[in-house]
Amino acid sequence: MFDKLTWPILAVTVAIAVTGCKILPTASGETGGSAAAFNPDKKVEEIWAAKVVPYLQQKAGPFPEVHAQAKTDPAAAGAKYGNPNKQANSPWTFAVRLEGKVVAENTQSRAATMDVDVDGDGKADARVQIGPAVRGTALRDSLDFVQFNDFTNQIDFAQFGKAFNAYADKSVLSKLPREALAGRSVKVLGAYTLASGQDLPLVTPAEVEIGLKP
Amino acid sequence: MKLTRRMTLAAFAGMLALGTAAPAYAADLIAIITPSHDNPFFKAEAVGAEAKAKELGYEALVLVHDDDANKQSELIDTAIGRGAKAIILDNAGADATVAAVQKAKDAGVPSFLIDREINATGVAVAQIVSNNYQGAQLGAQEFVKLMGEKGNFVELVGKESDTNAGIRSKGYHDVIDDYPDLKMVAQQSANWSQTEAYSKMESILQANPDIKGVISGNDTMAMGAYAALAAANRKDVIVVGFDGSNDVRDSITSGGIKATVLQPAFAQAQMAVEQANDFIKNKTSPAKEKQLMDCVLVNGDNAPKLETFALTN
Repeated sequence: MFDKLTWPILAVTVAIAVTGCKILPTASGETGGSAAAFNPDKKVEEIWAAKVVPYLQQKAGPFPEVHAQAKTDPAAAGAKYGNPNKQANSPWTFAVRLEGKVVAENTQSRAATMDVDVDGDGKADARVQIGPAVRGTALRDSLDFVQFNDFTNQIDFAQFGKAFNAYADKSVLSKLPREALAGRSVKVLGAYTLASGQDLPLVTPAEVEIGLKP
Repeated sequence: MKLTRRMTLAAFAGMLALGTAAPAYAADLIAIITPSHDNPFFKAEAVGAEAKAKELGYEALVLVHDDDANKQSELIDTAIGRGAKAIILDNAGADATVAAVQKAKDAGVPSFLIDREINATGVAVAQIVSNNYQGAQLGAQEFVKLMGEKGNFVELVGKESDTNAGIRSKGYHDVIDDYPDLKMVAQQSANWSQTEAYSKMESILQANPDIKGVISGNDTMAMGAYAALAAANRKDVIVVGFDGSNDVRDSITSGGIKATVLQPAFAQAQMAVEQANDFIKNKTSPAKEKQLMDCVLVNGDNAPKLETFALTN
C-alpha cells in the first residue's frame, strides 16, 4: 500500500529533479510516520560539505544587497538567493554573506548572538546566532533541493530543520571564541528568514570566521 | 442517489431557464466535516468554510465527527450520497482517515483536508495544515524568554491520537531542551479538554508547588490550567497556550495567560474552499498537495488585534 503510493511520487520527483538534487527518503509509515527510518542528523552530515556549503557559497549574496532587495521585492530576492519553490505561505529565506565588525554580543542566553555592523556606521545591521541553542530553520529553508512534499509529515521535516542547526553548532559554532567579541571583525556565510517583529535580521551561520581581539 | 438526481435535474432546469451555463449552481453542495464545535477553533473553521462556500455560490453541509473515525466514515458516506462536489475535512485520525478519503475519491468526490495531516499522499487533493512545529517553536521561544531560561515547568499535552499533539510537544521540546536549567517536573495529557486540564493542574500543583511555568498544547487546556492556578492563588505561574482563541486573547489582555500561538484556522478553511472551487470548476489541483501555513506568536503586543483566529491590521 505504502509502496504503491510512494513510487509515483518518487517517479515524479526524479522526473522533475534537476541534476544534483537529492531525493530524501520518506519514513516508512507506522502511526504518525515514525521517524525510525529517517535519520535527519545522518542525512545532514552526508550532505553538509558535499551540497549545503557549496550551495550557500554559490547562492549567497552580500548582505547589504540581499537585504535591500528583500525589503523592496522579497519574492525576487527569494528566487535569486533562496528556494523559489518554498511553501506559499512561508516567509522568504535568503542565503547571505556577511562581513563586518561585532558591535554587541549576548552570550548570557544559550541562544547566544552577536550583532554585526556591516556598513561601518557603528550600528548593528544583522544578528548572528552562535549557539549552542540555535533558533529557526533558516538553513533548511534556504535550500532549493529540500521540499516539504518530499517528507512524510511535519515531524520529519521539522527534525531535518533542527538537524541543520545541530550540525552547524557541532561543527562550527561550538569552536568559536565566546568572550570579548565586540570590536572583532567577522565573516559569515549563512541564511536568514525575513520575519516580521524582529529587531534585526537573524542570521544562522554555516561558516564563521572571527578575527583576533583588536 | 434520488436526491442527487433531483438536484441535478433542478440545476439542469435552472440552466435551461437562464439560457446560459452559470459557473456554479445553487444546488452544488460542499460538505464541511470537522471535530466538535465545542472547541471554538473547529467552529471557526466550519464558519470560515461555510461563508466562503456560500460566497462562491455553493450550498454547505456542515457536519461534526466528534473525533470518532467510524462516525467520520458515515458522514463521508452521507456526503457522497448527497452528491457533494467536494469535502472539506478536518479529520479524525491520521491513519484511520486514509480509507475514508479514498472511498470518497473512488466515488468521484475530492477531499480537501485542513488542520490535520493524514499519513498518505495522493488520496486527498489538498492537505492544508498549520505549521504546528514552527508554531510550537515560536511558543516555546517565548516561554523560554518569559521563564528567564530557568525554573521548573509543567507540560500539558493534547489528545494522543491527534498528530498535532505530538508535533507540538516535539516542537516545544526541541527548543526548551536546549536549556538545561529548565526542568520539566510533570508532563500529562489533558486531551485538549479545559475541565480535564483544570483537575490535572490542581493535582500537579499539589505535588509540585515550586513550579514557575506551564506550557500547554492548546488554548482550552491553557484556560483550564490558568483557572486552577488562579483558584490556588498562583497567578504568578507563567502559562503559554496554542491556537489563538478569543478566550486566551482576553486572558492575555487582562494579564492572565502570557502568550499563545495563532493558527490561521479561518483563512485555512477559506483557502481549502477556494481550492475546491478551482477543482470543481476548472479541474485544476493546487500546485502541491501538502501545504503548510505558518503560525504567528500572540502576546501582549498584538493580542488586541486578534479576532476569531485571525489578526487584523
